[in-house]
Amino acid sequence: MKMKAKPVTAGIAEGEAIVSHMAISFTGGMDPDTGIIRESGHELEGKSVAGKILVFPTGKGSTTGSWQFYAAFKRGHAPKGIINVKAEGIVAVSAIITGTPMVHQMENDPLECINNGDFVKINADEGYVEIKKSKPDERR
Amino acid sequence: MKLNKEQQQMLEGKQGRGARKAVEILVAYGDCYNAERMIPVTSVHIAGNYPVLMDEGIEWLEDLAQGGTKVSVYTTKNPEMFDFEDSEELKVPEMYQERQRRIDAVLRSLGVTLTYSCHHYLVGNVPRFGDHIAWASSGSQVYANSVIGARSNRDGDHVALAAAVTGVIPEWGLHLTENRRGELLVDVGQLDLQKYDPADYKALGWAMGKIVGTKIPVFVNLPADLHVECVKGLLYTLTVTGGTGLVHLVGITPEASTVEAAFGGKPPPLADIAVLQEDVDKSYSEISSSSEEKVDLVIFGCPQCSIQEVQEIAELLDGKKLHPETQLWICTSRWVKTLCERMGLLDKVRSSGARIVADVGAADGPHLYLREQGIRVIAINSARGSYYAHNLFGMETWFGSTHACVQAAISGRWEGNR
Repeated sequence: MKMKAKPVTAGIAEGEAIVSHMAISFTGGMDPDTGIIRESGHELEGKSVAGKILVFPTGKGSTTGSWQFYAAFKRGHAPKGIINVKAEGIVAVSAIITGTPMVHQMENDPLECINNGDFVKINADEGYVEIKKSKPDERR
Repeated sequence: MKLNKEQQQMLEGKQGRGARKAVEILVAYGDCYNAERMIPVTSVHIAGNYPVLMDEGIEWLEDLAQGGTKVSVYTTKNPEMFDFEDSEELKVPEMYQERQRRIDAVLRSLGVTLTYSCHHYLVGNVPRFGDHIAWASSGSQVYANSVIGARSNRDGDHVALAAAVTGVIPEWGLHLTENRRGELLVDVGQLDLQKYDPADYKALGWAMGKIVGTKIPVFVNLPADLHVECVKGLLYTLTVTGGTGLVHLVGITPEASTVEAAFGGKPPPLADIAVLQEDVDKSYSEISSSSEEKVDLVIFGCPQCSIQEVQEIAELLDGKKLHPETQLWICTSRWVKTLCERMGLLDKVRSSGARIVADVGAADGPHLYLREQGIRVIAINSARGSYYAHNLFGMETWFGSTHACVQAAISGRWEGNR
């Protein structure tokens, strides 16, 4: 499955998807030492986004989030790529300063067509996302 | 987004890699909000200190500065962790001293004006009505929009720094007149505001921020002669529990001489929020986190104390001695500390056992090493300071009036509101 999306940054990333239906704050919401979401009550609480393709609606919270994301990236615990429904400033800046491939405004809602564990390729140079569905029993 | 020739050249790297990185940040950021063009800014303020930047953040700044990148717009800086003049007296660990020296050096090389102050609008960074600015510090940003009538979005440090280097910012949000209109009518007419002190306005801001969220509120029935410390108290706290960037205080905000002006037309027939005293009372217990009465430290200065606030505290301390197990810090800018010295306030404060500390704020920097020195329970007259000291540094806090805080430093125990 290949779908058009609007690039926020450039580059290509591929890997396993982790999907949140809730907005994410990098300040207080993600541990830069592990990449684990630590906001209490969050859908991804306790799960690591490190090395994954992170799919979520949009960013929220403190504008210092881009410093947190940068530290997570340098420590090797940031997601490999980002797909947002609608990009917001903190996440876009985080992606641009770390060179993380990022797209938004996909032609179909990414929260509906991507599941945890799917293999996803972001091509932010050409503006598309490719999804290879995982089998249901492979999903976590 | 349309870029002019100069911005296009920056993007192509013809003006150095720092300018290229800066313009890349602004384009990605502006595209998120469908900005059509960049507009010039007249003033920038950046916020992050070591607890926010961490080692990687310092490296990012050092990388930006490589090759001689400079800011092209007047840019000031928020407080740091400690005052270089007092680092030995304050027993600041060498590791933190080394980090702050690096931050100081890189900001110097970028050409940032080293104010180390969060009341930068009192010490030289004063935009005019209608100016487009990029201030990365949610408290002073809402002050600039609401009291001065300058225009800033809630920009983070990377965006503000990029604006400082390039001299421009994407035009969106609060830069545009049509986005500055009021969205919620807040009536405070049922409160006995004549009896309110600045702490009560902070408690009011705390309660309102939760309801207002990111909308633009319009406050009616505030006293026309409302003291600036009360204005600051209300605005700075609204951005702790809420995320608004502009607040119309009718009769105070330049764009809100009347309620119609604030809404850019007809106001709603009924108030969206009619505040009751019980809402304000409830805030006091929500803001304080401590249940332990013994206070280790009373700390003032979030935002940093103005000279008038220092005078008020010095007056309350006159002829008194602090409890032997309780410290009292007055955090302010170097300018105000110099003024205190000239006016004899420094000695007056010192003779009580308290200290005036420059270049730091009461919400963040010092708590890193204070915690390591065994400070656990603090008393503070700032709801904002209480929130950050507790949530970022694990301090237990008491929030109350300036008078209640000074009293706690003298008796060593919290006896104020709870």
